[in-house]
Amino acid sequence: MREDIVSLRTQAVARITEAENASELEQVRAEYLGRNGSLTLLFKNIASLSGHEKRQVGTLINETKSTVERELGRKRQDVSIKPEIDTTLPGIKPQRGHTHLISQTIEEIEQIFHSIGFVRMRYPEIDWDYYAFEALGFDQYHPARDEWETFLVEQKPDPQMGPIVLTPHTSNGQVREMIRRKSPPIRMINIGKAYRRQSDATHYPMFHQFEGLLVDKKISIAHLKGTLDYFVKQFFGEDRVTRIRPYNFPFTEPSFEVDVSCNVCEGAGKMSNEPCKICKEGWLEIGGAGMVHPNVLRHGEIDPKKYSGFAFGWGVERVAMMKPGINIPDIRVLYSTDLRYLTQF
Amino acid sequence: MNILIPDSWLREHLLTKATPEQIKKYLSLAGPSVERLKKVEGDYVYDIEVTTNRVDAMSVRGIAREAAAILPRFGVRAKLKPLSLTRPRAAKTTASFKVEENAKLEKRMMGVVIDNIKNRETPGTMKRRLELSGIRPLNAIVDITNCVMLETGHPTHAFDYDKIARNKFRVRESKKGEKITTLNGKTHSLPAGAIVFEDANGSIVDLPGIMGTKNSVVDHKTKRVLFFIDNNDPVRIRKTSMALGIRTLAAILNEKGVDPELAETALFRGIELYQKICGGVLASKIYDYYPKKYKAKNVSVEKNLIDMVIGAELPKSDISKYLSALEFSPDWSSKSLRVTVPSFRAYDINIPEDIIEEVARIYGYHNLPSVVPSGFLPPIKSILTFESKVRSTLKELGGVEVMTLSFADRSMVNESAVPLKNPMGKDTKYIRTSLRPSLTKALKGNSGWVGPIHMFELAHVYQKTKRLPNEILTLGGIFRDYDYREAKGIVEEVLVALNIKKGLDELGTFEVLSSNTFYYELDMESLYKLYSPISSYSEIPQFPPQVEDITAELANVSIVDVIKTLEKEKFVSWVELTDVYKTSYTFRVWYQHPKKTLTDKEVTKIRAKLVTALQRKFGGGVK
Repeated sequence: MREDIVSLRTQAVARITEAENASELEQVRAEYLGRNGSLTLLFKNIASLSGHEKRQVGTLINETKSTVERELGRKRQDVSIKPEIDTTLPGIKPQRGHTHLISQTIEEIEQIFHSIGFVRMRYPEIDWDYYAFEALGFDQYHPARDEWETFLVEQKPDPQMGPIVLTPHTSNGQVREMIRRKSPPIRMINIGKAYRRQSDATHYPMFHQFEGLLVDKKISIAHLKGTLDYFVKQFFGEDRVTRIRPYNFPFTEPSFEVDVSCNVCEGAGKMSNEPCKICKEGWLEIGGAGMVHPNVLRHGEIDPKKYSGFAFGWGVERVAMMKPGINIPDIRVLYSTDLRYLTQF
Repeated sequence: MNILIPDSWLREHLLTKATPEQIKKYLSLAGPSVERLKKVEGDYVYDIEVTTNRVDAMSVRGIAREAAAILPRFGVRAKLKPLSLTRPRAAKTTASFKVEENAKLEKRMMGVVIDNIKNRETPGTMKRRLELSGIRPLNAIVDITNCVMLETGHPTHAFDYDKIARNKFRVRESKKGEKITTLNGKTHSLPAGAIVFEDANGSIVDLPGIMGTKNSVVDHKTKRVLFFIDNNDPVRIRKTSMALGIRTLAAILNEKGVDPELAETALFRGIELYQKICGGVLASKIYDYYPKKYKAKNVSVEKNLIDMVIGAELPKSDISKYLSALEFSPDWSSKSLRVTVPSFRAYDINIPEDIIEEVARIYGYHNLPSVVPSGFLPPIKSILTFESKVRSTLKELGGVEVMTLSFADRSMVNESAVPLKNPMGKDTKYIRTSLRPSLTKALKGNSGWVGPIHMFELAHVYQKTKRLPNEILTLGGIFRDYDYREAKGIVEEVLVALNIKKGLDELGTFEVLSSNTFYYELDMESLYKLYSPISSYSEIPQFPPQVEDITAELANVSIVDVIKTLEKEKFVSWVELTDVYKTSYTFRVWYQHPKKTLTDKEVTKIRAKLVTALQRKFGGGVK
């Protein structure tokens, strides 16, 4: 029986070597290793053998089987063996997961600012009026503070901290970060949810903001410009430029509106003599910024005579939607839970 | 807020050769932002965004003043033309009026009666300018009030003098529920505390600063006009205007605190127009109630602070030049600058930084360098990197992240939910206490989707406390058309990827919502505490394991517990459930000794222990 096995092995290896295509190879496989293949049948016969012999023969058959399998595998990798595969067939795609476009944007923002030393923080998204407004210098009658614009929690106001609000911006993190760090330098990027009582194509009652804050010695408007330029070029592309214009916020002085050059009309404001549909005269508003108001520093227990700083707070959705090629027409689409949208990103 | 200003009107106040394009560009860089420049027949219109603190610039005159300060910085000559308004000659009083004043509600009131008015159609130029400014022309009396407002920036009003009972009124606060009919014919129920004018009959004849009332409105028969200017408490204007939803230009200006010094300019300009256009003749003395006259305001700033904030050194003479162009009066004493603020900027300019802003913007932000700040790099370590790891692991396992609104209906939250005082709708009154309702809804919205679904969300849920609510970062997820074990396996694998040793059953919930939908929820903070960012190497065994299947009859026991129990046995390296048939459970058991190959005898011994454990602990019979 042993000789039979050895000759079977020699035979099989020879036939594999000679095989010229995949179907011949498959035929050899079936003849030796298939359900009724010669080697398979040998296994069934060893039951009749005695204990000692059984073990020896069994081992031999096993070795032979692995040899044949190994040779088959080797031959299959041989380039001269043409596989009989219809290469015009499309692939079957695996199910891929998706993180949300907003999450992807947040991570990108986080990384860009991280590379210039800003650490990501997160502060309460439901917070005291004190941090959201009072400490930032919003006067008692500021429109942002009234019930038409900001969501209030139905709870008795605290005598010191005021009512509880759903933060209408991430700026509540400014004084909180100053107090946490105790003394400058401070470089943070606070990214989180914010809420405002509004809903239309460009506003959703819930949105995300990223708030940059830098406080140190001798910080000037030039540093703010440098930081904004760096972000814009990293996020939107090297060819985009920024400008800052006068604006007004209670918690910065001076305050700025930041614009990015339009990528569609390339800053011209016009396309074939029609006003550009995307921008205002060649510029897209990206958000607000400014030099931290001395009173805000004081509320953060920082001496405005020794330190200065800048801050900016921009919409994550806004910068995501402004990114060339994203093509999301409406912020409400961004918040859709339709898988046909979610699986596109 | 945005205002529309026709170019031709602007040039009545501004002497310059600048093109409209230049004005648009340069104003935007250093002053109010011109968002659009529109060419119309024979003219241009600027659409300008003026920030709320700059009510002084919300007029033709105000923009002209800004342009006169800004354009020269860009090499274009420009000058603000002087206003040539003279105090009208005192008239013989033929029509008097009386006002019962209230210093709490009014900062200044001015008025005059003009007789012999011919109310007619407004002449072409003025009519066109109003239209271009976005105001619908009606008749000369009304149009003049709007024209004066747009030009000077102070809202004005014209009463039909003969419609005010006994020609006198009283300024008072409204009582809640009082009814008025505004001049556009709409009836409103007033909130308490609105400012109203009440005539001798007790009728409300004006909602000052916001909109006139129907009972005192001018019409084509009007002969005598009471031209009136009221400078009111801005906070009450805002409250009333918002509560009633009457957002007129007058209200929008008045709620921002218009300069009371401007009242006189507005009055004189109006008188001039009534005389010219309607043939009006003054019939009363000029009334002027001004209980707290404006006192000049000074702000001081140090030169080195200016240089530090701007990030460049400016000569003192340049600083003075920029400020003077804006009608500030600078006064240097060595390195200290004392600035007298013009009345129309008194609300806005309070601290040294306010002065720096004026200097910096006229100098030109575009002229400043752009420098990435140098300095230290702060440490990083937070739950946020962990969060991103969880998100990417779920993605690797085929999950799709959703983001949904944090609000919920009462029926969707538990008793610890945070309620809102001013929700946008009844179904958004609460902040959610679980992500489950949002995810269930999201799943429902995808009922047409073919194939399995795994959606997840990472968001805060909230629990009411006596102070700020607890903010609980939560991971929730929902499966549809997954096999139960596959779905659960995905969540278990997330824990494995995070190097968390505890099981899903100890850390969160995995619920069966229906035969093919499953929901899980985990608290991120607890996961974070157990998370290890580093996976450690365990040595790969050099000897092959012995593998065999054990089938047990089990009922009413936790299979997870069974596996855990079996895995506790020494030299059992892994146990896997491979098959379930009715109450028969087949477990594949790997026997492994780190230092040798286990013999059949040794395996038999271990197996016997496993069988005993199955029987004793779980009442399971082994075949």
